[in-house]
Amino acid sequence: MSDTDGRIRLIILGGYLGSGKTTWLRHQLHDGQFQGALVIVNEAAETAIDDALLGGSDRLAVLAGGCVCCAAKHDLIDLLRRIADDRSRAVSTDSPLDLIVLETSGLADPGAIVEAIRSDPVLVYHIVVSEVIVAVDGLHGMSQLRSEPLSRHQIEVADQLIVTKTDAVEQNELTLLLATLTAMSPGAVMSGAVKGVSHSLPEFNDAIAETLQDFAGQELKAPISPTRLYLDDSIDWTAFTVWLSALLYARGNDIVRVKGVIRTPAGRLLLQTVRKIVQSPEILPEQGDTREDNIVVMIGRGFTHAQLTKSLQHFVGSQGV
Amino acid sequence: MCSACGFPAAPGHWTEAGAANAHERLRGRFRRAHVLQRVLPSYHLNVHETNDILGIQLSTLTGSHSIVSHLDDVWALAEKVNGTPVDPLDRRFIGEE
Repeated sequence: MSDTDGRIRLIILGGYLGSGKTTWLRHQLHDGQFQGALVIVNEAAETAIDDALLGGSDRLAVLAGGCVCCAAKHDLIDLLRRIADDRSRAVSTDSPLDLIVLETSGLADPGAIVEAIRSDPVLVYHIVVSEVIVAVDGLHGMSQLRSEPLSRHQIEVADQLIVTKTDAVEQNELTLLLATLTAMSPGAVMSGAVKGVSHSLPEFNDAIAETLQDFAGQELKAPISPTRLYLDDSIDWTAFTVWLSALLYARGNDIVRVKGVIRTPAGRLLLQTVRKIVQSPEILPEQGDTREDNIVVMIGRGFTHAQLTKSLQHFVGSQGV
Repeated sequence: MCSACGFPAAPGHWTEAGAANAHERLRGRFRRAHVLQRVLPSYHLNVHETNDILGIQLSTLTGSHSIVSHLDDVWALAEKVNGTPVDPLDRRFIGEE
């Protein structure tokens, strides 16, 4: 659908230990999703088990004995480089590999993986991370959020949240989890799954998100919240990117996610960031409907809509050049 | 296309993605210098754009010059000079002018 400049799309499937990543992926493969994709399974333990469960995939690679976001990061980079190399050498009659699904270990921070790929001088030309899918344990998700910083990091960077085991949990506990997830990652698309089969989620408009405590026992510095910035005609791409690059440089750890479609002379650009890392913008096809253009969603903490607007206006100035 | 690896794409810095041709790139360079010059002097840096040098030319108040390749390097240099990064949410940008 979107132009990836001939690069391989990479979908990262993350989620806390036991959240149901493999079960979900297995069912998706069985259902014929991710056709032709190379599936990479990472396990923090020395022995791989998940690969035995994923026989349904066309191609499978296993990285065992370390989590790819930290200890085994180099193994992942080496493997991806090899894949990119093989693909560049392949003759044109072979069906080209254009999708990789990486199932991370339950201990991985998907943000760190995006960062590793984006900052590798070779992979940046070959691989584009198209989506971060995070599985959340419907049964234990809430207690993990209360006690594990990692489970929060995973959710904050997700594009898509799959809430699993929704049949095994009380309705009011589930709605509490859903409301809390929405508050933490407002930009993410949320769906439910039971044993990998998609399952509808209950209405949770009435549920109130739990205010998570930080680990010193006080409230978090500030909750993560989304802000929608409307870029009117006075704001050009150049000024906007000067501003955003400065903002990410200074406050990248507090600006967890930026996502939007911006009109430029080069076409409609899809802009996405994860913390300080910016994906090279993809050019999207014209779709005739321009309502969603020039809106940028910024998810993070420590700023208000008014501050962002005022700061951006200062950078833009009056257009004279 | 890269003549060594044969691979296209070679995306430039992400901030340069908004220009489709040389004319727009040139216009973007001058516009970028103009925007930077609104911001950097209060951080003791000045910007020059002469279009004969690839990269962004910066000078400090003591007269030392640097050429950096993209905006991330500009912010890194500003942080080095000032000991603190250029923060768009600093009061000088969001307070009353």
